[in-house]
Amino acid sequence: MAEPGAPAPLAPPGPAEPPLLSVRDLSVDYVSDDGPVRAVDRVSFDVARGEVLGIAGESGCGKSTVAQALLRILPPPAVITGGQVLFEGSDLLRLGEAELRAVRWRRLSMVFQSAMDALNPVLTVGEQLADTLRAHGAGRARVRERCSELLALVGLQADRLESFPHQLSGGMRQRVGIAVALALEPALVVLDEPTTALDVIVEGEILQRLLELRRRFGFSVVFITHDLTRMLQICDRVAVFYSGRLVEVAPAVALRESPRHPYTQGLLAAFPSVHGADVELGSIPGAPPSLRSPPPGCRFHPRCGQVVDRCRTEEPRLSALGDRRAAACHLAR
Amino acid sequence: MSGAGAQPTGVGAWWQAIRRDRKASLGAALLAFFVALGLVGPWLVGSPDALVGIPLQPPSLAHWLGTTGQGQDVLAQTVVGTRVSLLIGFGVGAAVVLLGALLGVTAGYFGGAVDGLLSLLFNVFLVLPGLPLAIVVAAYLPAGPATVAFVLVLTGWAWNARVLRSQTLMLRQRDFIAAAVVGGESHLRIITRELLPNMTSLLVAQLIGSTVYAIGAQVGLEFLGLGDVSGVTWGTNLYWATNDSALLTGAWWTFVPTGLCVALVGFALVMLNSGFDELANPRLQLERAWRGWLLGHRHPPTRSTPVVNVPPQVPRG
Amino acid sequence: MRYVLGRLGFYVLAGWAALTLNFFLPRLMPGDPATALFARFKGRLSPEAVGALRDAFGLTDAPLWSQYLTYLAHVARGDLGISVAYFPAPVSQVIGGGLAWTIFLAGTAVVLSFAVGTLLGVAAAWWRGGWVDTVLPPLFAFLGAFPYFWLSMVMLYVLGFQLRLFPLGHAYGDDLTPGWNLAFLADVWRHAALPMGSIVLATLGGWMLGMRNAMITVLGSDYVALARAKGLAPSRVVLRYAARNALLPSVTGFGMAIGFVLGGSLLTEIVFSYPGQGYLLVQAVRNQDYPLMQGIFLVITLAVLGANWLVDLVYVSLDPRTREVAS
Repeated sequence: MAEPGAPAPLAPPGPAEPPLLSVRDLSVDYVSDDGPVRAVDRVSFDVARGEVLGIAGESGCGKSTVAQALLRILPPPAVITGGQVLFEGSDLLRLGEAELRAVRWRRLSMVFQSAMDALNPVLTVGEQLADTLRAHGAGRARVRERCSELLALVGLQADRLESFPHQLSGGMRQRVGIAVALALEPALVVLDEPTTALDVIVEGEILQRLLELRRRFGFSVVFITHDLTRMLQICDRVAVFYSGRLVEVAPAVALRESPRHPYTQGLLAAFPSVHGADVELGSIPGAPPSLRSPPPGCRFHPRCGQVVDRCRTEEPRLSALGDRRAAACHLAR
Repeated sequence: MSGAGAQPTGVGAWWQAIRRDRKASLGAALLAFFVALGLVGPWLVGSPDALVGIPLQPPSLAHWLGTTGQGQDVLAQTVVGTRVSLLIGFGVGAAVVLLGALLGVTAGYFGGAVDGLLSLLFNVFLVLPGLPLAIVVAAYLPAGPATVAFVLVLTGWAWNARVLRSQTLMLRQRDFIAAAVVGGESHLRIITRELLPNMTSLLVAQLIGSTVYAIGAQVGLEFLGLGDVSGVTWGTNLYWATNDSALLTGAWWTFVPTGLCVALVGFALVMLNSGFDELANPRLQLERAWRGWLLGHRHPPTRSTPVVNVPPQVPRG
Repeated sequence: MRYVLGRLGFYVLAGWAALTLNFFLPRLMPGDPATALFARFKGRLSPEAVGALRDAFGLTDAPLWSQYLTYLAHVARGDLGISVAYFPAPVSQVIGGGLAWTIFLAGTAVVLSFAVGTLLGVAAAWWRGGWVDTVLPPLFAFLGAFPYFWLSMVMLYVLGFQLRLFPLGHAYGDDLTPGWNLAFLADVWRHAALPMGSIVLATLGGWMLGMRNAMITVLGSDYVALARAKGLAPSRVVLRYAARNALLPSVTGFGMAIGFVLGGSLLTEIVFSYPGQGYLLVQAVRNQDYPLMQGIFLVITLAVLGANWLVDLVYVSLDPRTREVAS
């Protein structure tokens, strides 16, 4: 991939500028006959204007749940059981249906993981772009023009407007997904594993295109993936999730060079760099804990190579470590 | 349709599913009542063939459901008819599922030309209209329950075959089947040990559905006079009721009880099936649990993910 | 296009299967119809008439394959043999009049039932837990558990006999002459109300439940989640995104259901003495009029096959995935 080692430098937000998105103590439970299971536990993070924040973690750690919780589109049996999602001055969790509809897509949009499933099989691409625009009040003449514009933005020909989703390749469908997400020029776009189902080359092209668009339009991005290497390439800051909790947050470069949480260290060892010296492929022993009965204290302690007694009983809080870094580990002080 | 999710292990899980769901419990109780009626009923009532009174008498203390157009006791006829009707119903239902499973699983498992040919057979049988076909074949055979059972199986097996074939196709692609094939297990073993146990909830649903079909279709054929009209079943009761112009003489008691019995048994089976629905489709169960939990927290079920603030969890010690 | 032609080929095959079945049935079963007939009409048929009958049945002494070809040729001409009960009227003539009434009754009933049932299914799924979802499915399931013709009997008794709201039978009043005028058409509808109503009531539940379950599945899909996330109006989400997709399995099932409903409607016709195929069928069974029975079977089968093909055409227009091979 042609992307250089470090992401394009952005002026870090000045102390006076408030973050675009501010999540505080967000908790999400999944209800079942045997009681609720907490999938996301008191997660807090910020996204600055124009920033690319990555959310990394294994399958089932809660990162997709957080993404969908922001837009409040989690299906039953999910319930948001606490916290605040402050976005452009209002708490999204306190809004009613009508107000949510005004915010959704206009200010905050999303690209789903599997574009094939996210596009309606019986409507053409053009119709699915158009109804987004029309739902937010665009006039007829403008709609057609705008649809072609959007396809051009993601590198597709205008005649693709008449195609049905099954007639497009995986990469093309994903591009359509991005076009749909950008239709109303939102301030924040959440990408939920957007390239997992695609091959590496197509993935690279799409991410490249996305970053160009971001430079052009200035929206913020929350990029969710389990591919740590990719994330470090394109994100400004990275947040690491484990078992429903946020365990470390740091600028990408700092995370790669000096990870402070043992889990992050383990993850990085499992994703060695293509360049550089040959190192043995590391892995983290054991498996992620059951969310129904997680271990006491630090959730990672059963698998941690640096565990001490305190880890088994006392839950480590996410504490600031300077340089816009934070980690939830007793040893990272 | 039903997914091949975790299949219930053992009778205990089925029993629990029934108890948990009100509709299923009601269905089970109703069904049990009719089975009991079929088993011991005939000994509790008089003879259905005997001429016990003046024809077309409305229900009275002497004859709780009145008399037929020929002077027979309607209650006795209804109760005695239960046994044969249920027997044929359950029998045909089971036969239809067995035949459908045999052919459907074979088609889905072996694929290729076998599947192509069998699928064609299924589809042809499915598209030919059932009742006319049943009538035409039954007309050439001697009238009686055996004929009725035969034509019902002939016209009913294809539906099950097709459903079980798609399920087999779906399961076939799963890793554990591929592992068994690679491991060298014989086909028969794979089908009976790996495949069928994963389809139990579907097979039970099919069995129930087929029995409903069998009872209803049987009554229809007997109503036309293709059953043994000298025998006593629900269908033949209705045949005689129409023959004796029950409707136009206002003798509603000659046909209402029988119809009610058929409907109640069918209804009971459908209710039972709906309780097993959750076993087959876990999403329904989750939605129910979600709705109940929200109700407990006095929050309406909303389209967008609901926000309900609960006190922070006490960390488990 | 290929899909549509492929389906047509299948229906031709199924039609051929029905024809062949019709051909072999009398030859496989114990005793042949001509001999049975002779026994019935003992003394009333001259030997020439019996001979003609046997010829009409195709039971000549020619080899089997020759009989088969002759039979196919006859059917292609529309010659379905001679009726026994209405001897010497040809079967096609006997069937002819009643066919239109059966198609009118069953056809309208099935379309109405599908339309109303599907709409109710959408409502039940969208307003989960509401009264449409909790009250109607068990109610219609209960109604659907009754045999169609029994519901007909009850409706006839209550609404026709007791309350005298509707006529007691037939397709139109004896005093009216058929014609395309308002009075006649209104009378036809009055006579059709009860039979049609009973068929609709009995079959509504199936469509409703099927659509409801399909909707629930579709409502959990990613593209519906995206549609909601995009801020589309709920009506658009439920109709163009959810219902449009959930409709597909129902349409697939519609074709199969046509045959089933048609069977049930035949029995309903008997209860109302409706002058359609059902009444003829019962006469045929009672009189052992095999040619008529088989003729009705054939005609009904061909009608069902034709209707199925039409449904396939509708399906193609609804599901773009069937239209051409993905590029």
